[in-house]
Amino acid sequence: MTEKSCGVLDEEEFYKCCRLLLQQSEQLRDGWSWEAVQGSEGYLKKTALRPVPAPQREEESGSHPQMHSTCNPSPQPPQEEQPVCVASSDPSSSSDELEDEDDNSCWVAENIGLMFQFEYHILYSCSYAVPVLYFRAFTLEGRSLTLGEVWSCVHPNFRICLQSCPLNAISQQEHPLLGQPFFVFHPCRTEDFMKPMLQAAQDQHRTVNYVLSWLSVVGPVVGLDVSLNYSLERLPGAPPCSPRQH
Amino acid sequence: MASDISEASSSTADLKLQFAPFSSALEAGFWHQLTQKKLNDYRLDESPKCIKGYYYNGDPVGLPTRLTLEFSAFDVDGPTPARCCPAVGTLYNTNTLDAFKNTDKKALLEKEAAEIWDAIQSGAALKNPSILCRFILLTFADLKKYHFYYWFCFPALCFPEGIKVVQEPVVLDQVFSAKQIAALREAYDGLCVSRGTTAVPYFLMKYSDDAVHMAPLEDWEAFFTDTKKVTVGVYDPCTLSQHPGWPLRNLLVLLATQWGSKLDVVEVLCFRDRTLQGSRSIQHSLVFRVKLPELPSSSVCPKSVGWEKNPKGALGPRMVNLSECMDPKRLAESSVDLNLKLMRWRLVPSLDLDKVVNTKCLLLGAGTLGCNVARTLMGWGVRRITFVDNAKISYSNPVRQPLYEFEDCLGGGKSKALAAVDRLTKIFPGVNAEGFNMSIPMPGHPVNFSQATLSQAQKDVEQLEKLISEHDVVFLLMDTRESRWLPTVIAASKRKLVVNAALGFDTFVVMRHGLKRPPNSQTVSTESDSSPSCSSASSSSSTPAGSAPRVPGSSLFSNIPGHKLGCYFCNDVVAPGDSTRDRTLDQQCTVSRPGLAMIAGALAVELMVSILQHTEGGYAVASSSDDRMNEPPTSLGLVPHQIRGFLSRFDNVLPASLAFDKCTACSPIVLDHYEREGFSFLSKVFNSSHSFLEDLTGLTLLHQETQAAEIWDMSDDDSI
Ligand SMILES: [Zn+2]
Repeated sequence: MTEKSCGVLDEEEFYKCCRLLLQQSEQLRDGWSWEAVQGSEGYLKKTALRPVPAPQREEESGSHPQMHSTCNPSPQPPQEEQPVCVASSDPSSSSDELEDEDDNSCWVAENIGLMFQFEYHILYSCSYAVPVLYFRAFTLEGRSLTLGEVWSCVHPNFRICLQSCPLNAISQQEHPLLGQPFFVFHPCRTEDFMKPMLQAAQDQHRTVNYVLSWLSVVGPVVGLDVSLNYSLERLPGAPPCSPRQH
Repeated sequence: MASDISEASSSTADLKLQFAPFSSALEAGFWHQLTQKKLNDYRLDESPKCIKGYYYNGDPVGLPTRLTLEFSAFDVDGPTPARCCPAVGTLYNTNTLDAFKNTDKKALLEKEAAEIWDAIQSGAALKNPSILCRFILLTFADLKKYHFYYWFCFPALCFPEGIKVVQEPVVLDQVFSAKQIAALREAYDGLCVSRGTTAVPYFLMKYSDDAVHMAPLEDWEAFFTDTKKVTVGVYDPCTLSQHPGWPLRNLLVLLATQWGSKLDVVEVLCFRDRTLQGSRSIQHSLVFRVKLPELPSSSVCPKSVGWEKNPKGALGPRMVNLSECMDPKRLAESSVDLNLKLMRWRLVPSLDLDKVVNTKCLLLGAGTLGCNVARTLMGWGVRRITFVDNAKISYSNPVRQPLYEFEDCLGGGKSKALAAVDRLTKIFPGVNAEGFNMSIPMPGHPVNFSQATLSQAQKDVEQLEKLISEHDVVFLLMDTRESRWLPTVIAASKRKLVVNAALGFDTFVVMRHGLKRPPNSQTVSTESDSSPSCSSASSSSSTPAGSAPRVPGSSLFSNIPGHKLGCYFCNDVVAPGDSTRDRTLDQQCTVSRPGLAMIAGALAVELMVSILQHTEGGYAVASSSDDRMNEPPTSLGLVPHQIRGFLSRFDNVLPASLAFDKCTACSPIVLDHYEREGFSFLSKVFNSSHSFLEDLTGLTLLHQETQAAEIWDMSDDDSI
């Protein structure tokens, strides 16, 4: 929560904004959680599952049928008899000892390639004094996606937006708390686009959750939508005011 | 309400209950953490380890029923995500692929099933029902290739005859009133609060028209005073409308074992609880009834199933290749690429990075200029960099040549070409660098001392021809003028882009050579190019290659297309090899101001990049200093012919000059002789004095005519 319009927020404010966001998220059940890391640090985290966009579907899933459910034993999936091949060497050679007779499970065609898991983290950047969005996406097997694959999942409009909007500074970095590679929105422009938003809010005597307002701008670029309910709930009776600035 | 259910049951006489199996879902962080554990904790320890996953009953329709493992899976006592149910599992991480293959999967399953069975029989599962949702994970981590083999098993005990559905599944709001649904939600939330958790995997339920009561499994005896009507609730991760998820399966075995003798029909609530756009709903939960079957024996563990099918639908393991996100070398590559893309996204949207990154660069010379050019090329993400140099690293080199260190000078010094490759690879393993420790034959430097020297020279020429053919851009970065002649001729003949950099004490020239038109199109046009060389902007007399007297009649030229531009030798009216006249200039390289090589090396690469961004590449019209105010021809700006820098004035000019028809390197007569006679022509050049080339091109004649012009030219300089 900040009344400043200078475009940045200090660390204490950041945590305060996060706590408020979490309280609302708990109400809205949209999955934000606080991940504490040794010491006092931590970050906001959210995961989401998203269907693989159609053009990528074929590459990802090969010729596998799309997700549907059939029931044993009547229609046996045709692939059942095929030998399993994992890489060049086949570690499954001993699996023939396993019986594949389970009349009591319904066979759900494999959809491993048809869903991507997204992981979003919000951290505080001391050097820029702004929140930073880290994200990565992966298959259900845990294979991380390239940025191109990530974007192909995002609504096509945003891809156009990405060419022109000032937020498209995405690079790859080690997560400062986890030490694993993540994509990150470079925070160098954050202050610039936050400043007018905060100024507008101040002029209208609205209180603004910096993290929430910021998230509503950067989130959609990588498929992370912020529910309008956040702003509705904060201002009961007030006209819905979307902080989106696209 | 419940009576509605039983009336519809007649048609379901033979329907057997079928469960939707879990799909394993691994987060990227899980594999990172497994790698850390394997490297730091487990090492060669193959003993089973306890891990934790979770499942969720709030997914929108269409999502697979997942059991998710994230990076925190190894922290069994850690928190479970809110409103998710934990599932505890056993990790078997083998040390070899063979061990992975040869692990007795059936035995693993039976061992786990026996433990579940024990807990069911002893009643321990009532107190701790999460044991009903255990899993096995068999893994092999190939940390050399970053390939991870894995196979999940979700053990389920089986009723041999299956489970008869008495009442088919219907969604909750078909059988419960809005009031009952609200009461159910409240009762579940109350149960969560009383259990101090946000999700309860299994619960008992009683309901009337206006009230719902819930209790944990262990309270069975107190909760169900009579067993005529028993409803059990299961936190159900499945989203299918006709099937319950896996967690119900072992619960039914538990019920049959504990109360089978008293129970005939059990009502099941598959509790599904999702929130969309801030509004929570449970009315899509499923309700159905099953006839609880008898188990054949109360002491023998029932048959069990549960190994997960792979994407092909067959029982088999999976493999995921994570080299892209784990191999440090691959990570460095993608980070470098992304960093460059950042420049494109933010500043130069039309930048064609692929053109730059995929350009194959041949660096002739791995000294001060070569080192700086290589580093700048790396900065641009260029992957293919080849060095040619015959020198060894000496003690004076490392301070000026940023690819070498003191150690490289010891023991006589390493070969520059090879040491440069080693260093590039250390800086960025993704580079595809190669080094050739070889000499470049030079005019006026005879190679005919013996048959051996002659055939060595022939080999060197062939090697150089091959290298130039294999690359897209040739950088001339040597410290002698003569050594630039042969590559200039070969590259001109092969129509390769040449970027040339040469240093004086405080002046430099960076230039692109004119790119001759493809051979077949170059018919009559050369006639019109016969105007003498010119330089649109003048330079101080200490500039290399620009120091030669200019020809009378030179004037300001603009808009010279790339194919008419001159080469390094076009401005010279003496052939290379004339050591007495030019040696002093070339030798100045070693005494140039230290910053000069960095400036010129960087400019050479930036010039190449700008040329590549021009739609016409090397044929692009030369920009001049006058164009600095105009609309630039590329997204990166101007594409000059030459950049001449004067460090004393901290100034650069952008002259452009025409190809000289009597040029000793790029004139048609020289190229024609080279193309027709090959090495025999070249060896004549090497073995003869400079007059051979001057005679061939007609320079000798010109020389005599213009002896007097030198003075005139000097005065021309002063006017600028
Ligand atoms: Zn020339």
